[in-house]
Amino acid sequence: MPEIDLKDTGALFQIAEPTSQVRAPRRPGRGIGIDLGTTNSLVALAPNGAAPHVLKDTSGSGLVPSIVAYLDDAILVGRAAQALQLEHPERVISSVKRFMGRGLADIDFTHPYHLVEDSPGLLRLDVGPKRLTPIEVSAEILRALKQRAEAELGEPCDGAVITVPAYFDDAQRQATRDAGRIAGLNVYRLLAEPTAAALAYGLDRGGEGLFAVYDLGGGTFDISVLRLHAGVFQVLATGGDSALGGDDFDRALARHLLDRAGVAEPSRLQLEAARLAARAAKERLTEETSTIVRVPALGLAAEVTRAEFEARIEALAQRTIRACRQTLKDAGVRPTELDGVVLVGGSTRVPRIRALVAETFKKEPLADIDPDEVVAWGAAIQADILSGSAREGATLLDVVPLSLGLETMGGIVEKIIPRNATIPIAARQVFTNYSEQQTGMVIHVVQGERELARDCRSLARFELKGIPRLPPSMARVEVTFQLDADALLTVTARELMTGVRQSVEVKPTYGLSEEEVDRLVMESLDHAGEDYASRNTAEARVELGRVLLAVRTALAEVGHLPELLPPAERATIEAALAEADAAMAADAPADRLSKARAALEKISEPFARRRMERALLAGMSGKSLHDIESALADDESLREKRAGHSPELVGPKEP
Amino acid sequence: MQADIDPFELFDLPRRHAVARDLVEARYLELSKAAHPDNVAGESVAERRRAVERASRINAAYRILRDPVLRAEVLVKLAGVDLDSSDPQHGAPHPTQAFLLEMIDLRERLEDAGPAGLPALQREIEDRAEAALDAAVAAISGGDTRAAAEHLVARRYFQRFLEEAEHHA
Repeated sequence: MPEIDLKDTGALFQIAEPTSQVRAPRRPGRGIGIDLGTTNSLVALAPNGAAPHVLKDTSGSGLVPSIVAYLDDAILVGRAAQALQLEHPERVISSVKRFMGRGLADIDFTHPYHLVEDSPGLLRLDVGPKRLTPIEVSAEILRALKQRAEAELGEPCDGAVITVPAYFDDAQRQATRDAGRIAGLNVYRLLAEPTAAALAYGLDRGGEGLFAVYDLGGGTFDISVLRLHAGVFQVLATGGDSALGGDDFDRALARHLLDRAGVAEPSRLQLEAARLAARAAKERLTEETSTIVRVPALGLAAEVTRAEFEARIEALAQRTIRACRQTLKDAGVRPTELDGVVLVGGSTRVPRIRALVAETFKKEPLADIDPDEVVAWGAAIQADILSGSAREGATLLDVVPLSLGLETMGGIVEKIIPRNATIPIAARQVFTNYSEQQTGMVIHVVQGERELARDCRSLARFELKGIPRLPPSMARVEVTFQLDADALLTVTARELMTGVRQSVEVKPTYGLSEEEVDRLVMESLDHAGEDYASRNTAEARVELGRVLLAVRTALAEVGHLPELLPPAERATIEAALAEADAAMAADAPADRLSKARAALEKISEPFARRRMERALLAGMSGKSLHDIESALADDESLREKRAGHSPELVGPKEP
Repeated sequence: MQADIDPFELFDLPRRHAVARDLVEARYLELSKAAHPDNVAGESVAERRRAVERASRINAAYRILRDPVLRAEVLVKLAGVDLDSSDPQHGAPHPTQAFLLEMIDLRERLEDAGPAGLPALQREIEDRAEAALDAAVAAISGGDTRAAAEHLVARRYFQRFLEEAEHHA
């Protein structure tokens, strides 16, 4: 029986219980599925057995950039926040998922934020006057998605399934669940992203067979091997890297651009500009074998070939393949035994990735469901099932991605639950006491495969209290480590001699305590009403501002050419601009601002169309690809310049 | 891991070492479908906790039934000998003096082997671990729990040796 170093820990009693909310009756068909991604998030519905569909905004986009802007009087999420990113980088948070469940020491990638660690393991970001946890930032994204869903449903949703990378550890998962609660969601389940994708594909195809899901998102990589049989989706093994994704491809190419430009010590703005240019170039290189990249902030105009890009990302790509081979081994499956391999995530569009996947799994990958939407579809399906609708259930048997262990004498890890064990699963250990004075003990739980606790990921310290005083080695404290269906850990303890349940206080290594989450939930409930209204107005202002700027700039540049813009039409555009200005100046509510924007867009549309045609015609008449790209890149750099004009049109009004 | 359940009973299988893989898989899917916590997502906290515990027992049993070593160990436990206990009556039998001397000898061979001799030594011990398991299984069928327990204890020593040898590599 392992003997753990014990100490007297005092008299406070707190019980660690799974969150016990009073259950109101479920409302079938009102479950929502959320894909909370690093780069983009989506919300989807599949009510009462219907096929899933992603909810789109007025411009037809289902992807909500996972970006949150904190202005003095409003919080913006999505494209509106994205519009403010270049000029106010310190107020705009993107890729917050990379900070969830992490401590300061874990952050090893470049980012423009000021991070602090008030208490060890609890990371906060300085955003203007506020100091926020990544959990609160994620909660804003979830809140916006919830509102989008409720607008479609016409009534409050019952609950949500939120997806997480399969390779997320306990702290990262708990942070996601906490964010959901703070956003006012009843989180039915956390669902692993590859499993969600398998659910969407599997049900689509009459589900039978062995599948691998290769999921490369913006910030995380997962590989899962699943068996689908008789309505049961069984994950056989999972692997991956929760800090590897398309963002890293962007960064690798950005470094290449910085090298080419000869910029040794880039400023924050230059880093951002390089990254955004790299991302755009990466996307172009999916279709083209070379592309022109112009980054005015670096003074760079250069040609980048697909081969150069591939060379820069090869090491990253190979890391994913190593994880694939290990996971196939863990599952006991050979590539030839697979019935298919599914691609998930925008980054799987990169040709080199597709080629490597086909080579590793010895078959052409499947991507017929939009790789950006498939995870949200799966989440929506499961949310519908859990809402109690009449939909035929699918049983999802998932696994824990990392071994769970206890730190014992000398810092060695004793594994109690192996990785890839199907969840829910429990392990029991019996501990004893060293001396009669000891009434408590501390158990340090870690996750990972290494021998020493310090090389693994610390999960939490569990303090057991109130053990009855007994002679040395007489106490028998049975501790149960229970992983639930979300792979979240609950620890309970019982003294076997007396049969008494022990109290267990949880001290998570990374993340908020239960009380802190409760407090944030209460705060957000208080502000829910005001936030919604001010967010709407602020978003409408930003959108209108963008259109105003675009139209004004176009008028300035080519508005004098009568073949592009007849004078009579110009007059109507000017009138629409005047109304838009008036609405902005009057600090009008969201309705009036949206109307003004819609009118301006409609009236200036023929002018915009003519400009586009002109550009295309210029491009197609015998010019080389090089020249067309050049011309388009010119347009791009012009747009970048324009983006720099926005500040005076948005933001808080001066008193 | 939980070892206080009878996986054979849970899966409705005869209590013997040889199992039909297909049957284990089929029973596992049936049981999992019926017991998954998602089925009771709308119920009370107590009901959901019971479901989590039920599903955990099924998953633990599945893991045992799929692994020939764990299967042998649980059969021995059900027959009255707990290999994880040091209780003189119902716990793991002590290895013989001769066996312990052999293990010391093996450790010396490990030190002397060096990287060249290591693979051959590893294969030799893997074979011995396999043989110990086979002997245990034979003893179980023959109803000799004590002998089975002794072979399984020996197998654990070989297993630990192989794990340490890994770090020497």
